Amino acid sequence: MSLKLENITKFYGDRLILDRFSLEFKPGSVTCLFGPSGCGKTTLLNLIGGVTAPDSGTISGFAAEMISFIFQETRLLPWKTVLGNVIFPLIDKLPEKQATEIARKFISMVGLENEAGLFPHQLSGGMKQRVSIARAFAYPGSLILMDEAFQNLDNTLKYNILDSFLKIWEVDRRTVVFVTHDIDEAIKLGQEIIFLNNSPLQVIQSLSISTVYPDRVKATAKEIYHQ
Amino acid sequence: MHNSSVRNRIISLFVIIFLIFGWEWLSRAFDSRQILPGPADTISSLISIIGKPDFLSSLGATLLRGFIGFLLAFVCAILIGIPAGINSGIDAAFKPILVTVRSTPVVAIILLALIWFKAEQVPVFIGFLTMFPILTTNISQGIRETDSHYIQLAKVYQISHKRILTDIYWPSILPFLFSGVSTSIGFGWRSVIIGEVLSQPRYGIGAMMQDAQSYLLVSEVIAWTVIAILVSAVFEWMVRLVHKHSVKWKR
Repeated sequence: MSLKLENITKFYGDRLILDRFSLEFKPGSVTCLFGPSGCGKTTLLNLIGGVTAPDSGTISGFAAEMISFIFQETRLLPWKTVLGNVIFPLIDKLPEKQATEIARKFISMVGLENEAGLFPHQLSGGMKQRVSIARAFAYPGSLILMDEAFQNLDNTLKYNILDSFLKIWEVDRRTVVFVTHDIDEAIKLGQEIIFLNNSPLQVIQSLSISTVYPDRVKATAKEIYHQ
Repeated sequence: MHNSSVRNRIISLFVIIFLIFGWEWLSRAFDSRQILPGPADTISSLISIIGKPDFLSSLGATLLRGFIGFLLAFVCAILIGIPAGINSGIDAAFKPILVTVRSTPVVAIILLALIWFKAEQVPVFIGFLTMFPILTTNISQGIRETDSHYIQLAKVYQISHKRILTDIYWPSILPFLFSGVSTSIGFGWRSVIIGEVLSQPRYGIGAMMQDAQSYLLVSEVIAWTVIAILVSAVFEWMVRLVHKHSVKWKR
């Protein structure tokens, strides 16, 4: 099934964020939405995830998917431990034993196996971010949405997690849409990179990473955003 | 932090000692047991009350009435407070009722309750009406102040309504609930005793106070008051203990 946004218009108060915006995503691929802060990338992701509704236009194909969402803020439940948070979306959907196994596997993937019993207030900002990544990856969503998911992590850890993520992705080939303003992250992860700009949001250019070299992506970014 | 808490306790202790000395001084100034007996007279009355065979029946009867009133108020507050917190229409529907109940003088309610209910039931009804609006308001406020981000998260991850209620709303309202329980027990306990004073059931702290007052046994009235204060302090301590235990995830 194709995943499509057609003629989407969205206001925040008086501000027009999206004006008859259309975009199509390839199922089973990793698409990066790249653009400056405040250009409306998060709004776009929230529309796809069903967190906000468009003022007009149609969104098709996404509603049927089980969605894993890594929000910009970690949204960890403060009254649940690391394990409790990761397992939270899995209960009801999987037998308890299996849910615990999966949760523990992803907690180890983000390097927090020793912190599984801690509460969020006992963790650093980066650790909380890793828990929210583990929660999203552990959930068997066919679509993964990530909003600046790796921004609070140090580089070594970030690339370790990205590598693990790609390994998992190779196996199940879930559809991934992720938002970032980090060009290296976009190159590392994205197969399709969609360059966006604001007022209202528009697609400037779309590149397929399998056909171009990273340098070309960087050059395009420089050309568009004068960075 | 630790030093300041020790210091505050010492301050409280000094104030209590000062008040007891003040009380002793006043009772000597009045020089009449019928008007203001001193602390020593009150303590001997307290001991004699505790030694009486119907002490436990009176204390137990008041506790039971308070407990039933609280339980009824708690159940109704959950049933109304949660939907009122989630839906502003339901909140608007119940607001006038809660405001009316809260602002009606307790005595007016007791006078009506004396007509409608048996003597044993009046204090329960009064306790219920005092505690219900406080609990309901706190629960609905707790629901309204639940972080909407958590609800969005639950919706994205297709969490059932039941689990949104038990895993997100319930822990979010706990701090509000405990503050409501603590306030409502304080007010409710006093109202139950006022209800007993006026409805005169066979047993009850309020009924005993009324009896003592009618025979001008002022030291007994004060002794029963001390008992009521001590029970209230035990409640407060218990609520704090449960609260501390159930929100251990907090810093």
